[in-house]
Order: sequence, then structure tokens, then C-alpha cells
Amino acid sequence: MFFGRIIRAALDRFRSSLKLRSLIYTVALSGTALVVLGGLLSVNIGNNLFDTRTTAALKESAKAAEIIENHFAEANGYDIDQLNLYISTLLPRIENEGVTKKRLVKFDSKDRSLQDRQLISLESNFWPKNIDDQSTPALPNLSSKVTSTTIQIDAHGQSVPAILTGQLITLPGNHVFKLFLIYDLESEQQTLLFVQGILLLGGFSTLMIIGFFSYLVTGWLVKPMRVAAQTSELIASGELHRRLPVRGTDDVAILANSFNHMADSLQEKITEQRELSRMQQRFVADVSHELRTPLTSMRLSSEMILENKELLPTDPKRAAEILFETVSRLDSMLSDLLEISRYDAANVTLSFDYHDMNGLVGQALSAIQPLADSKGVVLQAHIASGSVTCAVDSRRIDRILNNLLANAIEHSEGKPVLVKVAQNDNAVAVSVIDNGVGMTMEQAKQVFDRFYRADPSRKRTMGGTGLGLAISLEDAKIHRGVLEVYAEPGVGSCFRLTLPKRQSVLEYVSPLPLAVEKLS
Amino acid sequence: MSKLLIVEDDDAIRETLKMTLTGKGFEVISVSNGLDAIPAFEKHLPDLILLDLQLPGKNGIEICNEIRKFSMVPIIILTARTDDDDMVRGLEAGADDYVTKPYASEVLVSRIRARLRTLGSPSPHKIIKIGPVELDSLSHEVRKGDKKINLTPLEFKLLLILASHPNEVFSREQLLEKVWEYTYKADTRLVNVHVQRLRSKIEDDPDNPKLVLTVRGWGYKAGPE
Repeated sequence: MFFGRIIRAALDRFRSSLKLRSLIYTVALSGTALVVLGGLLSVNIGNNLFDTRTTAALKESAKAAEIIENHFAEANGYDIDQLNLYISTLLPRIENEGVTKKRLVKFDSKDRSLQDRQLISLESNFWPKNIDDQSTPALPNLSSKVTSTTIQIDAHGQSVPAILTGQLITLPGNHVFKLFLIYDLESEQQTLLFVQGILLLGGFSTLMIIGFFSYLVTGWLVKPMRVAAQTSELIASGELHRRLPVRGTDDVAILANSFNHMADSLQEKITEQRELSRMQQRFVADVSHELRTPLTSMRLSSEMILENKELLPTDPKRAAEILFETVSRLDSMLSDLLEISRYDAANVTLSFDYHDMNGLVGQALSAIQPLADSKGVVLQAHIASGSVTCAVDSRRIDRILNNLLANAIEHSEGKPVLVKVAQNDNAVAVSVIDNGVGMTMEQAKQVFDRFYRADPSRKRTMGGTGLGLAISLEDAKIHRGVLEVYAEPGVGSCFRLTLPKRQSVLEYVSPLPLAVEKLS
Repeated sequence: MSKLLIVEDDDAIRETLKMTLTGKGFEVISVSNGLDAIPAFEKHLPDLILLDLQLPGKNGIEICNEIRKFSMVPIIILTARTDDDDMVRGLEAGADDYVTKPYASEVLVSRIRARLRTLGSPSPHKIIKIGPVELDSLSHEVRKGDKKINLTPLEFKLLLILASHPNEVFSREQLLEKVWEYTYKADTRLVNVHVQRLRSKIEDDPDNPKLVLTVRGWGYKAGPE
């Protein structure tokens, strides 16, 4: 699903990018720390504000009680009207006494004789219903000592916290009154909100900064690793001279130094090996070339002797034939050695042209026919209909076909040999099948090795050089083709050559199966 | 009887080669030193030269270059190395063909005969045109406008075959068969090098040929359209 894909992509990115991961971890961890810290700070500040305000409120309420008590200390008797009058004149004084804003909300007589009469009721807006509720009073145990509690009041349509203080005041004549004062905490609430806002903003910015720096720092730390990875790749791809830059003496520099040291020693070893192998190839090529000059006169001489063999007695005549055959074989061995040393030295140039594979196979068949006839082997061909055009170096393909056919004829034990040609959109395949001795798959795996012989005890009737299939494999590879073998002991073997039709073809499947079929 | 000049420093090869070719009915002159090659050529005027590349005194490529300055005689290189540039440089210097050591006498003789045949192939008298170039099939004269162009017999044969079939594409293998008379797979570099040489003689701009065109992946054809 769509979201599933997004999540999977994000997870992949998370797993693959160290930078991203470290950013996320750092931000998550420091974010948690900041939230805890900010929460504690905010609670602490809130508590402090509240405590300070409560202390002030208690002090101011005591002061207000004192003012009222002092005012009535001189009076001997008073009725409710006088009381109301006094209280209302006292009100502004009480309200303005002290530093914090407060409101007198109720001054109520506890005296039964005055109870029926309506005492002043002030600021009824601020009169929360439950303050003096008989069943659940906000301050249940009033005494002459001021007590406080927290309530919610309604201010400008909003519920704000406030401190409610309450106490009993005894006026002359043993009249007891309840004095309730409300100190609203709106400004403290705002201060707290402001502080929390600052904390939140500060926390968020800190988090951003931490994230940014952690990203930068990880970048700095990761960069040498990325450079090291790239350099390793370059070295692996053959650029042996590549090294890491070394700056300072820190851990990264130590890593770079060790890496460079490793690269030095690798380069040294590889160069040494290459040089050795180059010298060896050079030696093989030189020896092969040097041998060709004496071989030329040997060959010409042996031919001349062979042409005049009728002049010789029986034994020297046979010796002349053997000499000629041996010289020819030495010649083909040298040619094969040279060819393989060219491949080893990567000194091979191809000349691609368009050819019809049917035609190439036809030519190869007619060239090998004399050998097949001499062995009594019937050659069969299943050729693809139409033309099978492919871009190849015909000389090399011819060599592969000749090798495969000669090989099949040699091992067919007189049974038929079948050549098949097939094509699909991208590839051409030729398979050569015999029903001869066959071989085990272990042997088949080694069949392309140089100088490998499936059965060392077999006599070398064909005078093969032992390099034919090794060269054919290289010939196929340089066409970006595949040469494969399937074999079963006693059943036979199938060699299949698959070639891309054009060098621009990158992927292809063989149009022929790799299997031995029973031939009749 | 055709006269051959062998330039070969290896005594054994020179001697066996001389015996073999004499036995095949050629008149053979041989020299062992590169410095003797051109004097011997001027003295005997052979019909064909068999030239080793690595020679004391003067190497085969220099000899080839010098002879081509005044003669279009067929030259076949005898070489032990097919993988290095020497052989290609020899062909570029004007050699017609090469034979790799160790060669079978049969192969060598058929190469020699093929090169000698080019000289005297009889054909009806015809003037064949390719662009501004005119070929006289009988006198083997090639002209470009008023200018006479010197082609080796092999180059002439190559151009004649291409020009006689304008716009027909010849594969390298076909040309090897028709021009060099190879009946088996041979080195297509022969064709490439000779087409280059031919172009350098007849084209206005050999890097931008108008007369002998390459058909990528297939071969060559004679232009212009």
C-alpha cells in the first residue's frame, strides 16, 4: 500500500543513513531531557508564584481584619445600618491595602441577632456559589486565624484560579463576623503562561540547535568514513594509487594512516604479482616466438623429406612421416600457446562484423568433414530457419566451432555428432552434441582448464594441444558470450555456445537447452 | 619462370626456403642482410619479394618503405610475430600480404602464386570510373583528373573489384577471397590496412573518404552514391 511504501522507504533511509539516525537519536534524547527539565522548571516556578502570593494574601487578609477591628474598637453599639455604612467606607481602603489586587467578597455576621438582616453583599460577581455553602463550605473551619484555599473564579468570561482567605472577626459586643477575601491569580497565571511559553520556545530552539549541530558533527565524523568507503571502492576497481587524506593526529587520522598503510602493502603485492605474471606471459610469448624460427626450417625440411620419401627405405620413410606430424603438432601447440598468452596479456583486438551463424556452422562442418570421415563419424545438423545474423569476429567463432566439432568427433566413439543452431531476439546458440563416452560433471567443470585431460590414460590420438577448449572459452568470453558443457558418463556430452546478437545486448537467455539428446 | 628475392637472416630458413621454392619451379635469389636487399632488388628486378621483418642492417619496414618509392613489386612479409604492431606496420609500409612462421610450403607457395597472378590477370579493355578516378583495366593505369596514381597490383585489384560493383557491399572475408585469394579464414587486418593505403592515394581527404566507404559491421563499398 501507499503508506506502507512510504514507511518502508523512510525505514530504509533511517537504516542506511548514519547521519539521519544520529540526528533522530540526538533530537529524541535531548528532546526528552528538555521536556522533563522544562516540566520541572515550570512546576517549580508555578509553585513559587503561588506560595508567594498565598503568603502575601494571608498577611493582607490579617491586615484587613485588623483595620476592621480597629475601626470598631471605639464603638460601643451599632446597628446593621451603621455597620453597612462603615464597611462600605472601609472597602476601598481594604481593597487598596497591600500590593496585590484583592476583592472583599463577603462580610457576614455570625450573630444570630443580626442574621436575619441583610448584610452588605459586595461584588456579587465574584461571589462563587460554594464559598459559604452550608453543606460543602470552601473553608470549613473558620477561626480568628486567617486560612486560605484555592478556588476557580469567573473573570471576563474565563475561569481563573484565585486564593480565597477566610477568618472570623469579633467586634465589640461579641458580634462575630465572617470575612472572606478573594485574591485573583490572573496575573500570576499570565506570568506562568509566559514563562512556560518562553520555556517551550527556548526548549524548541535548543532542540533545533542541538539537532543542527549533531547533524553537522556527525557529518564531519561520517565524511572521512564515506571518503574511506569511496577510496576502497576505487582501489578495488583497480586504482591502486588511491589514498585517504591524513589530517592531524586524531582517531580519523589514525584510521586513514592504517588504511593507507594497508593500501600501500596491497599495491606493492599486486604490482609485484602483476609484474611477475607479466614477465611470465612475456616469457611464454617470447619462447613461443623464438621457437617459431627454427620450427620454420624444421617444417620446410620435413616437408621436403616427406615429398621425397619414396627414395627412402621403409624405416626412415616412417621416421620422415613421424617427423612431419610431430613438427605440425609442435606448430599448433606453439600457436595455441601464443593465442592463450595473448588473452592472458589482454592483448586481443576483435573485429566485429555481421555474419550468418548458419553459414559459419556450414563452413566449419565442411572443414571438419575429412576428419569425421576418417573416424567414421556422421555429422548431423539442425540449423535454424532463415538467416541467423549476429555481430561476431568470424575467425574466433570459426575456431570455437572447429574446436567443439573436433572434440566431439574425438570423443564420439564413432557415433553421430549433432550440431544445432537456434536464435531468439537477443541471442544465438550453437550446441554440439555427441553420444560418446561423456564424462562426470566434476570432469566437465575442468574441461576448460588448460592442458586438462578428462582421462589421463587416454592416448592422444588427435594430437590436440590441450589448449583448444581454454582458448574457445576465452573466445566466447570476449564476445560476452557463454560456453557451457553438460555431460553424463556413458551418455555423451553437450557443449553449448551462446552469443549476444549484438554487443549492445546486455542480457540474454540461450535459445537452446543444455542437454544431451539421444542421436540415431 | 618467376624470379623471387628472399630477404631472410636465418641461415637455416633461407636455405630450406630456397630449396623448397626452387623445387616448386621458381628462380630464387636470396640475401641475408637488410642492407643488401635494395641493391639485390635493383640488380635482379625480381617479380616478388619475400621479406623478413627483423633483419640485421636494415629492418623489413624500412626496406618496404624504400622499395615502394620506386616499385610496385608484390611484397610478402615473413614474420614470427602476428600479435605485435610490426606486421601491421609492414603492411602499412606497402607490403601486400604476410605469412606467419612456421609456414607450410604449400601455404607459402599458394600465397606467392596468388600475388604473382594479380600482375597478369587478363581482362577486357575497359575504363571504369569511380568519382573523379579512372581505372584502365588493361594497362592498369589509374588517373585522377590529369594526375597519374601509382597503385600496387593488389591495390589496383582491390579498387577494381569495388569500383566494378558500385554501392555493393563487400565483406572483409569476401575481399580476402577475391583480392588476396584466401580460401580459408584469414586476418581481416589485411583488408583494413590496404583500404587505408588505397584511400591515402585516391581520396582528397583520407580521413573523410568519399570513394571507398566503410559500411560499419559489414565491410566496404565503392561510392559515391
